[in-house]
Amino acid sequence: MGLRGYLVKRLLNTAILVIFVIIVNFAIFELLPGPNGALANLTGRAHGNPQAIQNLQINLGLCTGFTADNKCIAPSVWDKFAIYFKNMLTFQFGQSQQSGNSVLSDMISTGRLWNTLTLLGTATAVSLAVGIFLGVLVASRRGTLFDSSMVTVSLTTFSLPTFFMGLVLLLVFALWIPLFPPGGVTPSSWILGTPSLPDQILTRIRYLFLPALTLTLFFYGGNLLLTRATMGEALTEDYITTARAKGLSERVVLFKHALKNASLPIVTNAALAFGGILGGAIITETIFTWDGLGLWLYHAIGWHDFPVLQAMFYIIALCVIGANLISDIVYGMIDPRIKYE
Amino acid sequence: MSQPTRVPFLLIRFKNFLLLLLKNKLAAVGMVVLLLFVFLAVAAPILTPYAPTGASVSEPYDPPSWITTFNGPLGYSQNAQFSALTLNATGLATISKQAAHSVRLTFASPLTGGTVQLTEKLSYPYQGSPKRLLGFAIVDVPNSIGKPFTVTAFVDRIGVSRFVFWSPTEINSTGQHLPSPPIDSSQSTFNAKLGLGAQFSAATYVFAAQIADYQYVLQIHVPAGFVGTIDVQDFQLSLLGNTWGIFGTDDAGHDIFSQVVYGSRLSLEVGLFATFIGIGVGLLIGLTAGYLGKLVDEVLMRTTDMLLVIPFLPLLIVLVATIGSGLIYIILLIGFFSWMGFARIIRSQVLSLRERPFIEAAKASGAGTGYITARHIFPNIVSLTYVNLALSVPAAIVTEAALSFLGLGDPTVITWGSMLGAANTAGGSISNLAWWWIIPPGLSIALLSLSFILLGYAMDELFNPRLRRRR
Repeated sequence: MGLRGYLVKRLLNTAILVIFVIIVNFAIFELLPGPNGALANLTGRAHGNPQAIQNLQINLGLCTGFTADNKCIAPSVWDKFAIYFKNMLTFQFGQSQQSGNSVLSDMISTGRLWNTLTLLGTATAVSLAVGIFLGVLVASRRGTLFDSSMVTVSLTTFSLPTFFMGLVLLLVFALWIPLFPPGGVTPSSWILGTPSLPDQILTRIRYLFLPALTLTLFFYGGNLLLTRATMGEALTEDYITTARAKGLSERVVLFKHALKNASLPIVTNAALAFGGILGGAIITETIFTWDGLGLWLYHAIGWHDFPVLQAMFYIIALCVIGANLISDIVYGMIDPRIKYE
Repeated sequence: MSQPTRVPFLLIRFKNFLLLLLKNKLAAVGMVVLLLFVFLAVAAPILTPYAPTGASVSEPYDPPSWITTFNGPLGYSQNAQFSALTLNATGLATISKQAAHSVRLTFASPLTGGTVQLTEKLSYPYQGSPKRLLGFAIVDVPNSIGKPFTVTAFVDRIGVSRFVFWSPTEINSTGQHLPSPPIDSSQSTFNAKLGLGAQFSAATYVFAAQIADYQYVLQIHVPAGFVGTIDVQDFQLSLLGNTWGIFGTDDAGHDIFSQVVYGSRLSLEVGLFATFIGIGVGLLIGLTAGYLGKLVDEVLMRTTDMLLVIPFLPLLIVLVATIGSGLIYIILLIGFFSWMGFARIIRSQVLSLRERPFIEAAKASGAGTGYITARHIFPNIVSLTYVNLALSVPAAIVTEAALSFLGLGDPTVITWGSMLGAANTAGGSISNLAWWWIIPPGLSIALLSLSFILLGYAMDELFNPRLRRRR
């Protein structure tokens, strides 16, 4: 089986996963009593006008129609699932109960998606770069004081929960030494008018710094430890001795010869850790009131805004599935030894 | 015959295992930290008299008292209360003490009028003034009285100045009489009573920042020929300081130390029970898939893979948000969604064990599947179970804390996570972020998790001789 077969198999696997996620989502949000109770509560608010209530119940999919004596005809589970499945695939998540707008427009046109992507992208990139770089350095100086202290530090930051780390950073760098703003994405004065682009970038970086640092501190440790382990193995290989014997500089040996071969598990781990990063983002955004999807989810919990909750869960699951697919593909491309089976 | 010797043998084996484990220094540290938290959890009612969800103990946002060790005593105070009543009656009345702060005065027709004086004393020991003063005095007249009498209450800085809290008031009816306005420095009417502007603190005004002796006095002036009974109840004055206890107070004046101590119970409960559930399900599925193989294995492992991909925290968030956030639901949900990795490990171990000669031998001698699983396979994977137990508990603890932090925890209890969540949101402004409300629960979560992780790694090293470092 060649690369194409491998890709087809991965894609098929991904499709099955998406269907599985939709089924889980359906089971949580349509079959459990919680959200339906909330919907019933919502329809109860139509101020007693029977016609309005009936229209609302039909719109929300609680009833398919009404009998002559105004009894609700409930749809079968299968009908419900068919509609639900179609809605999920076409990203029709209904209306947010907080704002009344469609969930999709609340997600994208308010800039939430973009804010979250900025935060996640920065944190992932920095934690990968820092983790791998330090991991390589540590691996080449194994057994030294630098090695043991780096390992201790990264184990510590790795085991401190995100919410604790975030609050401590907030306390130290926003309250005691007010270097950074305590929260938000942009200053509130920007509603009146935004300054020129160079000013904007500096201010935005100041706002991004603490949340990104929180996430980075949580995730660089894993990358560092993993790189150290895989590099330690790679550095004992014969081709490293050969490279050194050829007179290549240590930098080239480490980063070109050893790291390239040691990078496979790091790629896999980055994809697997993506779900964790998303979980961390929910908490980080809550602490720093970073107006992204995580903070939105947090508010949706308080509001019992089930359309938003289920959309968020679906989108997050899709992101993780996508990350896994990408890592599979990258894996197939960077390692010629993989036999695509 | 073999039955009686069995239990001691297991005990000895456990003891030897423990001794071997504690030879590892990090494991010993982990064990000490873990035992400390277990002690906190068990001894909570002895360690702290305050219930975590009980009434407030002091003013909101009081930092811990020991900060005076670093910042010096200047400007800091603690809670203080005036001592029990001392009585100074001039033979006018028969006095019987009802309680520490309550007294009954019986007047049997004195020939001359006079004054009964009730005094409570305090040598104020702090170099800072209190945050708030809160006083009570109830003068209860149970029976009808013939002649009206007068009551007055004040605080003396002895030999310096006098602050009148209850102006001379004529009492001529039965029932309970209280000072008006109430003796409470948080109310502006009280400031007005002392002739103080609303922007000042009455507590600072009366208890100026210095060490001095004070007395709180209630005077009852009775006219000649007065007959009757007067009950003085709850005559006391409390000073709420600007520091409190070991870990200070939260935004409602609750004791943070007791919240942390009781929180250790909840965290250990959640961590252990959720892990037991996870391990149980993982063992069941791993053993089934590994030993039965074929289609069962395929179906179980594909399901496991799919569940592994679904992001854990968001899944729990939506499940808790829809099902409900009782502690029992949280434990069950964390348990039932944390078995996947363990099931995979067990399965692979079982797959390799299944092909070993001793299993074949057991099969050949006619042992059934259940017997082989229980007697030959299970003992060989017990070590994995211990390691996984130690490494899953911190995950469960942190997950529960994250849920509570997001406001999805059990609303009836205060856990470390919900303390952090409350510290984050209370006051709605960064200036309300109190370090004594963040560091204790946060460090507790981190330390408790770390203790389990250290034990887990040490056990892993013990069971996998290849991981053992050469010493």
